[in-house]
Amino acid sequence: MRKKLQEQIERLKKAGATYVDARWYPVEESNYLMMWNGNLKNATSSRESGVGIRALYKGAWGFSASSDVSNIDALFNKAFDNARVAAERVTFPVRLAEKEAVQGSFSSPNRIDPFAVSLSDKISFLKDLDEKLNKPGVTQRVSELIFMRKQIVYIDSEGSELEKKIIEVFPSIQVMGVDSQGESHSRKFSPARMGETRGWETVNPQLFSENAERIVREMNEVLVADDCPKEDRSVILLPGIMYLQTHETIGHALELDRILGYELGFAGGSFVTLNDFGNLQYGSTKLTARADATLPNSPGSFGYDDDGVPAQDNLLIDKGILVGAITGRQMVEEANARAHKQIFNGSGGANRATAFYRVPIERMTNINIDPGNDGSLEDIVKNTEKGIILDGDKSWSIGSNREQFHFATDIGWLVENGQITRVVKNSTYKGETVKFYNSLSAVGDQSTWEVRYVDNCGKGQPNQIMQLGHGIPICRFDNVRIGE
Amino acid sequence: MKDQILQALRDLRDYALKKNIEATFFYHEEDSYLMRFANSAISLNTNEHLIRLEITAYDDRRRASYELITDLKNLDEMKQGVDITAEMVKHATPLSYQTTVPTFKDSFVDENGFDSSLATLSNEERLEYFNKAVAGLETDDIKLSGIFSCGANTIAQINTRSEHTQYFKTSDAQISIVLSHSMLKWEVIAEQSAQKKSDLNPTALHRDLSYLMEHYQNDAPQQIPLGKYDIVFGPAASGDLLSIMNWIGFSGGSMKRGFSFISEEQVGTKVFSDKFNLTDDPACLDTFPFQRDLMGMPRSSFPIFENGVFKCFTWSQDDADEYGAQPTGHTVMHKSLVLSGGDKEVTTLEELVAMPRENDILYIPFLHYMNLVNPSKGLVTASSRFGALLLKKDGSVVVPYNVRVTQSLLDIFGDKVAWMSKSQTINNTSQSYGSRNPTALIVPIFIQVNDLDISHSNSSY
Repeated sequence: MRKKLQEQIERLKKAGATYVDARWYPVEESNYLMMWNGNLKNATSSRESGVGIRALYKGAWGFSASSDVSNIDALFNKAFDNARVAAERVTFPVRLAEKEAVQGSFSSPNRIDPFAVSLSDKISFLKDLDEKLNKPGVTQRVSELIFMRKQIVYIDSEGSELEKKIIEVFPSIQVMGVDSQGESHSRKFSPARMGETRGWETVNPQLFSENAERIVREMNEVLVADDCPKEDRSVILLPGIMYLQTHETIGHALELDRILGYELGFAGGSFVTLNDFGNLQYGSTKLTARADATLPNSPGSFGYDDDGVPAQDNLLIDKGILVGAITGRQMVEEANARAHKQIFNGSGGANRATAFYRVPIERMTNINIDPGNDGSLEDIVKNTEKGIILDGDKSWSIGSNREQFHFATDIGWLVENGQITRVVKNSTYKGETVKFYNSLSAVGDQSTWEVRYVDNCGKGQPNQIMQLGHGIPICRFDNVRIGE
Repeated sequence: MKDQILQALRDLRDYALKKNIEATFFYHEEDSYLMRFANSAISLNTNEHLIRLEITAYDDRRRASYELITDLKNLDEMKQGVDITAEMVKHATPLSYQTTVPTFKDSFVDENGFDSSLATLSNEERLEYFNKAVAGLETDDIKLSGIFSCGANTIAQINTRSEHTQYFKTSDAQISIVLSHSMLKWEVIAEQSAQKKSDLNPTALHRDLSYLMEHYQNDAPQQIPLGKYDIVFGPAASGDLLSIMNWIGFSGGSMKRGFSFISEEQVGTKVFSDKFNLTDDPACLDTFPFQRDLMGMPRSSFPIFENGVFKCFTWSQDDADEYGAQPTGHTVMHKSLVLSGGDKEVTTLEELVAMPRENDILYIPFLHYMNLVNPSKGLVTASSRFGALLLKKDGSVVVPYNVRVTQSLLDIFGDKVAWMSKSQTINNTSQSYGSRNPTALIVPIFIQVNDLDISHSNSSY
């Protein structure tokens, strides 16, 4: 197959394509198990294989994909034809940033392949959890396990040939209950990535057991709590919501294709402009953020992106100043040309496709916030006069340029004069992105820093669901509107 | 092709029967074409031809599924899939309820919604459409974005309970055109849905875009004050609100799981404005309908709200099995929701702008990134996008920066509804997550709702 792909790539090059690459997925498998109130509602496996071809002709992309590889010539021809028509409407001819030709491989670190674990063992794990969640106050209980395994062979016309083997495991639990007014409330848990690996060994029954007890207890506290007040307070975001705040208002806002207007027809743009790099005070000096695709244990690390560029750790925001973006080979060239200066020094290695039948686009890797020196959660609470601690991603809605947002959380704990006083329900907060990050007044130390994963980030047309991560500490922001 | 697909399914059925496996087979084939525009160029031109087969095996109360992307030539691979599913189901734990395995009483074919000339539209035709729709509207600063998505969608089913098959084939196109100012960052949109080639009308989109651009280029933008507004929702905004109601409103399963703002006690009572009439109408071809559901149940017009009175929850087979309800023919990939028109004779934005008004009216054509704040209260939040206008009571027009609306569906469609336009339009709500599933609703072109709160107002685009 590799030989065939190389021959076809050469053929298209001879026909006039300036660049061609092929991504062959010999196999991609997934397994989804979901137990709801004791019922195994989903026991689903899937398997797919196929090839995606990307061809560049006269500055325009063409793409074609199929699971049927019996007529590989036709597949390459289709990609080339699509590029030929696209070349009739080009405003900025696609150029790709320089990269080294690489022969390499990447395997995500794991000790136990989840696909080698028996279905019975997996279901038994869910059943145990379901029993632990089946407690007074709980009306709905959900336990889920998602596993993915893929093999990707990448070959391009610049001499790169890569093979990646990636395994991911995503476990989670959730409980719901109904309060005296008939309103539903929920609490959930998915574990932070603790060790250096990402296989079945990360599914720790003891950890789940402890957290099952905790989320049932906390949900029952929410059920009898008062509503969140509607006022301005300091918000202290625990990792269970800070990861999503980072994802939506730093991650998506700094995707270079969004900044350049390539997502305006659907997902939206970004308030960030090319003039902002090196200038914009994105946040307070306590804010340092990075796109780090080298964390071993996170789905945002994949060895090489789908341009064949090696994984990198790049600063995005340095002590509050915007310095970088999430980039691939095409966008950095266009951004530098449009800005008439070199903002970006080569690709950041973040061009990724979710399947063989989707085209690579800029995606988050691990968008992390560096730990600070404001101590533990207890230390931050002690130094907060009037605040609220928030956790759990209930709802999120962000403006089309990522300029403003509204989040609802599963739980809130009011803080008065350095003390946690009581739990509140229906907690929400909203803000404007730049103003919000400039009000960052405390960043927890390494002890508060966790790697959270996202298994369902959507972007692009046709839509692509991507897996990635966020390493984040506990953070406090001041003068934030809550309760609306 | 149809015969080949159905024969493959029959072969799989025979294979399962020989091995004494109770199974259902769901075949999905898509031929998808997407031309995507950004920065006034074609940023992506793609074609995906994919065949998916989902096999579900049953063993009394146990159930397991296996899905593969495959090819019709790979019957052995599909048979392997049957074996894998049969092995999986042995390990599944029994459900607390008896699941219903479909039994088709007869074979059913529906190709009424298929127009081969739309499904196989050429690259050149798609490009020509876009060029016509934006002719003369682009400048160095005003850039084109959007998609022309079209294709064919084939679904076929068989199961071991009967030899009969179901076969559905549709064609569809979804066109979305955005013009945006690269420096000022304003955006306007025009959209079209097509079920057959003759539905395509780039001139209509050109007219809509021209009108909105006239305002966005010439009228001064404003950050509008927070507070209460009389809001007119355009078709995309109304379609989004109804889509979310489909999830947290009248779905029986959601209600039983605590995700609905409507309770069982409210069946037969008034929930919304008496102007609110919502039907699931599979006769409406523009909605890419299922005339039968995936259990083989014939589908006909199904009233959900009549004059604001809630008539009935919709029940998929699995939810009905679990909660002891009667299925209502809603084991479908999507419903065919039709919100009846009202009595206001207003069909275009120009007419809306020209209408005399006693108060300022905020026109919101599109709601971006809608999410549920509190499903029990029907509380949703979203931001305006793509061409909002503030129609001042003195007849002037202001271009507002985007605003956020955080409101309950009970308020939006309740007694605050002032009027709905008599004319309806198609709102294509197809998403390209996973496999192709063309979806559309029919909505009044405009719905005015008075006295709704704006909770955030941007200081720029």
